[in-house]
Amino acid sequence: MNDLVRLLLHVAWWLLLAPLLPGIINRVKSWVAGRRGPPILQLYFDLARLWKKSVVMSTLASPAFIAGPAVAWVAVVGAAMLVPLGPAGALLHFRGDVLLMLYLLALARFATAWAAMETGSAFEGMGAAREVSYAILAEAAMVAAMLSLSIETGTVSLTTMLAPSAGAGAVLLAAGLFTVLLAENCRVPFDDPNTHLELTMIHEVMVLDHSGPPLAVILHGASVKLLLFSVLLVQAVLPMGELSPTAAPGVLLVGVFTVAVGVGLVESFLARFSFRRVPLLLTTAFLLCIFAVLVAWKGGAA
Amino acid sequence: MNPGTLLLASAASFVASIVAGNRYARAWLTLTLTGVFAGLSAALIVLLGTTDWEWRSTLIVGGQLVFLRLDGLSALFLVLVSVVGGAGAVYAHEYWSEDDYPTSAPRGRMWWSGLVLSMGLVLTIVNGLHFLIAWESFAICAYFLITLDRQRRAVRAAGWLYLAASHAGTVALFAFFASLAARTGSWELGPLRDHASLAPLFWLALFGFGVKAGVFPLHFWLPDAHANAPSHVSAVMSAVAIKMGIYGIVRFSGWLPMPAAAGWVVIALGATSALLGIAFAFAQDDVKRLLAYCSVENVGVIMIGLGGAMLAAAHGHASWGLLALSGALLHVWNHGAFKALLFFGAGSVLHATGTRTMSRLGGLWRTMPWTTGMFAIGAVAVSGLPPLNGFVSEWLVYLGLLDAVVSKGPAAWAAMPAIIMLAMAGALALASFTKAGALIFLGSPRTQAAAAAHESGRWMRLPMLTLAALCIALALVPVLFWPAVARAVNAWDTSWPPAAVPNSLTSIGRTQVALALAAVAATFLLLHKVRTNGLRRGLTWDCAYAAPTAHMQYSSGSFAGIVVGWFAWILRPQGIVRRPRGLLPLKAFRIGHNPETVLELVIGPVSRVIVQASRTASRLQHGNLQAYILYVIAALVALGSVAWLAGTP
Repeated sequence: MNDLVRLLLHVAWWLLLAPLLPGIINRVKSWVAGRRGPPILQLYFDLARLWKKSVVMSTLASPAFIAGPAVAWVAVVGAAMLVPLGPAGALLHFRGDVLLMLYLLALARFATAWAAMETGSAFEGMGAAREVSYAILAEAAMVAAMLSLSIETGTVSLTTMLAPSAGAGAVLLAAGLFTVLLAENCRVPFDDPNTHLELTMIHEVMVLDHSGPPLAVILHGASVKLLLFSVLLVQAVLPMGELSPTAAPGVLLVGVFTVAVGVGLVESFLARFSFRRVPLLLTTAFLLCIFAVLVAWKGGAA
Repeated sequence: MNPGTLLLASAASFVASIVAGNRYARAWLTLTLTGVFAGLSAALIVLLGTTDWEWRSTLIVGGQLVFLRLDGLSALFLVLVSVVGGAGAVYAHEYWSEDDYPTSAPRGRMWWSGLVLSMGLVLTIVNGLHFLIAWESFAICAYFLITLDRQRRAVRAAGWLYLAASHAGTVALFAFFASLAARTGSWELGPLRDHASLAPLFWLALFGFGVKAGVFPLHFWLPDAHANAPSHVSAVMSAVAIKMGIYGIVRFSGWLPMPAAAGWVVIALGATSALLGIAFAFAQDDVKRLLAYCSVENVGVIMIGLGGAMLAAAHGHASWGLLALSGALLHVWNHGAFKALLFFGAGSVLHATGTRTMSRLGGLWRTMPWTTGMFAIGAVAVSGLPPLNGFVSEWLVYLGLLDAVVSKGPAAWAAMPAIIMLAMAGALALASFTKAGALIFLGSPRTQAAAAAHESGRWMRLPMLTLAALCIALALVPVLFWPAVARAVNAWDTSWPPAAVPNSLTSIGRTQVALALAAVAATFLLLHKVRTNGLRRGLTWDCAYAAPTAHMQYSSGSFAGIVVGWFAWILRPQGIVRRPRGLLPLKAFRIGHNPETVLELVIGPVSRVIVQASRTASRLQHGNLQAYILYVIAALVALGSVAWLAGTP
C-alpha cells in the first residue's frame, strides 16, 4: 500500500507538475517584457488540445515516426523515476543508476533524432545533426558533474549522491549544470523555443513535422526533461536529503520555481548565441564541472 | 559429453568441410554448422562447469608436443568464434552464392572453414611455437577471404595492406614467444607471474596483438580491410578476428608479470581508441568504413575495462577491477553480436543496391523492412543505449571505473579521464548511428539504385534475426550470462574468486525488461491513438517549399560537419569545392574526403622514404660483373682490415 502511494506520488510529481515549468518561464519573460503573456497553464491546454487532434504525417515517414516520440517519452520518464525527490527518495535506485539516467536521456535523443530524420527534410536533418553534435559536449559536462558528486559523497547512486549539498564546489557545479540545463532543454542562449525561423533552431526544428498526439507526447516529454534537470540542479546544490520530510517538498518546490524563474530571466536578457559560440559555452560548462571535480577531490582529502 | 570429444568432432567437421567446400555448398554448410555447434557446446560445458579441459598428446609437431587447453577465458572467446562463424556461414550461403560468384564462392567456403578452425586452434593451443603457426594460418585465411573479390583493385590493395600490417604484428609476436621460450626454457605457455624478469616482454605482446585488435594508432589497416572485404567476411573480421588480438592481450596480461606502467598504458590506449575511433567513424560516408572505425571504438571500450582491471590488480583493489574486467569481457560478446548484425545489415543493403556510400542511399525502409529493423536494433545496441546489450557491458565498465574514482586511489587519475572520454565516445556513437541509420533507411531514395532495392532472402535474414535475438537476450537477462563472464575473469586472475551476480546487475536487468515493455506498450498505444484520431499523409514540411527533391536531404558530410570541424586536427578532412559563380550558375559541387590519417599522413610518407632509399640502394645492382668483383674485393679488404686491426693488440 505504502509503495503504491509512493509510486502515485512520484508519477504525479513528474507527469502532472512538469508542464507547469514552461508556463512559469513564459510568464517571467512576459513580465520582464511588460506583456500580459499566456496563462501559466497554457501547456496543459495545448496538450489537451493536441491529444484530440488528428495527425498529418509525411509521405516518406515510417511507423517509427510515431514510435520515436513514444520511446523518447518512456526514456525521459524512466530517467525521472531514477531521480530522488528529497527524503522521498527515488522510485528505483541501485549502484550506478546515475549512468542509466544519463543513457536514458541519450536514448530519448536517439529516438527523437531518428523520428526527425524520417521526414527526409533538410531542416530536420540540420536540427538532428546539431542536437547529436552539441550533446557530445553536454554529455561530457554532465558526466563530469556526476563525477564530482560521486567523489564528494563517495557513492555511485543518485539517491545518496544528491542527498548532501555539493560542498565547496557547489557554485561551480551549479553554474555548470545550469548551462547544461539550458543547452539540453533548448533554451536561450543555445536555442530559441519561440523562433519561427527553422534555420536557427535545434530541438524545435526536429519536431517540425510532428502533429497531434505525437506532438503532445514530445512537448510533455520535453517539460519532464526540464523538470528533471531542475530537480537535479536543486538537489545537487542543496542538502535535500538532510531536510525533514515536511520541509523538503517545500524547499524542492521553491528551488525548482527559482530555476524556472532563472531560465526565464536568462531568456529575457540574453539573445541566442551564434552557433559558432555554442561549443565554446558548452566547453565552459564542462570546464566548470571539471573544476567542481577537482574541488571535490581536494575537499575530500582535506 | 566430454569437451575433448566435442572439440575433436568440431575439428573433424571443419577439416571435412574444407574438403567438401570446393564442390558441395549444402554439405559444406551442414558440416560447418555441425562443427560450430560442437565447438559451442564444448565451450559452454567449460564455461558453465568448474574444470578446465586439457589434452596433452604424444603427437609431436615441429619438435614440440601438442598441448591443448580450454579454460574459462579461451572458452568465452570460443563461444564468440562459434556463434559468428556459424551465422556468417549461413549468411554467405546466399550472400556469396555460386550463382553470383561462380569462381570465388567455393574458395570462400574453404577459407571460411580454415579461418574458423585456425581461430579455434589459436584459442586452445598453449604452446608458443604452435600458437605462432595457428596465428599465421589464421592471418592467411583472413587474407584470402578479404581478397575473394580480387578483380577489384581496392580489394587487392586492402588485402595487401592487411597482410603487411598483420605481419608487422606477427614479427613482434615471434620476438615475444621466442624470448619467452628462451627465458623460461620451454615453449609451453601458462601462468608465469612469479618470473619478474619477463615483465618487459608484455610490450612486445601489446604491440603484436594490438595490431590485430586494431588499437589506435595501430588500426590503420582495419578500415580498408573491413570495408572492402565481402560483408560476411567483414562481419567475422570485425566481430571476431580483432577479438583474437584482444584475447592475446587479455591472456598474457593475466599470465605474465606486468610492468608498472602497463595498466596506465592500456587504459590510455583504450580511451584514445574509443574517442578517436568513433570520431573517425562519424566522418565516414561509406557505411562499412563507418562500422570498421566503430570497431576501433569498441576495442577501446574493452581496453579501458582491461586497463582498469590491470590497475586494480596492481594496486590490490580487487572489487572494482573485477567489475571493469567483467564489463570488458561481456563487451567482447556484445560487440561480437551487434557488430556482426550491423555488417550483415550493411551487406544486405550492398546486396540490394550495389553501393555502400550512404549519400547514395535513403528510404530503404519501405523495400527492406527486415533489414531496417535489424539495423535499428544493432544501432541502438552499438550506441550503448538501454534497453539493449551494449549498455550493460559499458555500464559495468563505467561502474568499475566509478568505484575506482570513489576509492580515491592513484588509479582514479586514470579512471576519471577514461569515464569522460567514454561518455563522449558514447555520444559520438549515437551521432554516428543516427546518421548511418537515417541516411540509409529513412527519407527518400537518393538514387535509382536505392529506389529499386529489394529485401534479402531468408538465408541472409535468419542469421540477422538470430544475432538480434542474442542482443536482446544479452540485454534483458544479463544475469544469465554472468556466470560465464565471472568464470573467464577467474581464469584471468585466479586470486579473484568467481563473483556472485552483483545486485545492481540484477536491477539493471529488471529495469531493462521494464523499459523495453514500456517502450513497446507506449509505441502501440500512440499508434493506436493516432489511428483513432485520424491520419492524413502530406508532403514533408520544407519551409513551405512545395517541390523538394531527394538531393535536398541532409547528406553525410553535412550531418557530420560540426563534429568534423572539432576533430579537424586529427581527421584532416580534404575537399574540393567549386562555388556557384555568376548569375545563373550551372555547376557547383563539393567533394569531401576523410583520409585515414595514420595511414596517409604517417605510414604513407615513411614508407615512401623507405622505398626511395631502397631504390637508391638498388642502383648498386646493375648486373655489371666487373663491378660485382670489385664489391667482393672491397668487402674482403674491409673484412681483412677489421680482422687485422682487431688482431693487433
